[in-house]
Amino acid sequence: MGLKKSHDAPTASEDERRLPRDLPGLLTALADDDPLARRWAARDLAQYPESSRALVERLSIETEPSVTAVILTSLTLIGDEIAVAGLTECLRSEDAMLRNAAIEAMKQLPDEVAPWMGRLLEDLDPDVRIFAVDVLESLRHPQVEDWLIRVITQDAHVNVCATAVDLLGEVGSERAKPALLALKQRFADEPYIQFAADLALKRISAG
Amino acid sequence: MTEPRQISDEDFQKFREFFYRKTGILFEDSKRYFVDKRLLDRMEATGSETFRAYFTTLRFQASGEELQSLINAMTVNETYFFREEYQFECLVKSMLEDLVARRATDSKPLRIWSVPSSSGEEPYGIAIYLLEHWPRINQLDVEIISSDIDTDILAQARRGRYSPRAVQHLPAPLLKKYFVRVGEFYQIDDSLREAVQFTRANVTDPADMRLHRHFDVIFCRNLLIYFDDLSRKRTAESFYDALNPGGFICLGHSESMSRISSLFQVRKFPEAIVYQKPWEAR
Repeated sequence: MGLKKSHDAPTASEDERRLPRDLPGLLTALADDDPLARRWAARDLAQYPESSRALVERLSIETEPSVTAVILTSLTLIGDEIAVAGLTECLRSEDAMLRNAAIEAMKQLPDEVAPWMGRLLEDLDPDVRIFAVDVLESLRHPQVEDWLIRVITQDAHVNVCATAVDLLGEVGSERAKPALLALKQRFADEPYIQFAADLALKRISAG
Repeated sequence: MTEPRQISDEDFQKFREFFYRKTGILFEDSKRYFVDKRLLDRMEATGSETFRAYFTTLRFQASGEELQSLINAMTVNETYFFREEYQFECLVKSMLEDLVARRATDSKPLRIWSVPSSSGEEPYGIAIYLLEHWPRINQLDVEIISSDIDTDILAQARRGRYSPRAVQHLPAPLLKKYFVRVGEFYQIDDSLREAVQFTRANVTDPADMRLHRHFDVIFCRNLLIYFDDLSRKRTAESFYDALNPGGFICLGHSESMSRISSLFQVRKFPEAIVYQKPWEAR
């Protein structure tokens, strides 16, 4: 006994996948009973942009978190309109893991998500609006500050504004100052808004 | 004459929060000089006259290239034997014991994957540590496989010849036991060279990763931090498949799997925090 060199090259495994790796084979594997087969299928389907609808459909019924994670990664890599629409739908999910993973995925797709952002920030559900601001947190898009200014100017919900003002402390410029001052007046009785807006104003002035 | 570039207290706070969110690395106030110096270097390199201009590039650049350059500048990467030794201690005192306790009568070798291999300091270091500190090495077989994308560095790793700097943290008795002095270099023992298998693998390539499977422990330290978010996530998902149920993954001290993927469970052992594929996972 002791250290032993593996004699299988490169490791002890042959390819364990049973179904063909073309599009029809992968779509079949995506419905396999074995989560490992589904995970591999979801991963390999990233090479086939035409599979985005099937991945979104699988996402809505998938119960194994490890498969869900890979589906979301593949949808991010494909990043077409169907994929982004599927991701935005996840913001309404009661499943926190799925919702957060979708937010992370959307952050990777600034140009693709941008056309959806206006609609998401006006969604009737304030939670969806908060999640949309969460997407903005790391979105590399030049309109981020404009969207945030719009939120703190127009949104009636204090929690949505609070989420947005936090982020403005990071990305805000002189342009955001009037909106921040107006926000302070609009929510004069909300200590958190006062604190967060003051911090954002301080940081903007320091820059 | 233009004003010299500078970082204000507010700039530092803003940067620190942003960098922590992106990388999980939190700079204490005592690191201010270290951070400022690197920020100013990058500001100069990118021609940013003010911190605000630089931060805007960092925050909104579509490619994320500058953020990556800054991460590289902020993380000191140097390979040497017994780097982050506390994880080796965790390997022999906790992780392997945890695995052995669940294996019952399974006689298959325990398999450890060290990636990237770089010039071999980590996989050979693991081998030495096991031989020196894990009594069960006399009862159980362990396979060590080490991979890198760079075939030149793999050749160097197979050769196993090191500078005095690379072996500076090895206790003198171990240096004497496992190395032979060749001129100004230290040549690792042939038995250790024989014990480690080196393979080429690109961890971001699913096809490469598909061939690397059935590991019980993966050491992947200070690599993911150089990747963009999506590559990091894909790699973590591939590691998940590469591990046996209950298998562990060790990241570098400044890296956190919790920020990359929710697939793994956090295990807090006395020696280190590592990440585990759930036993019930398939």
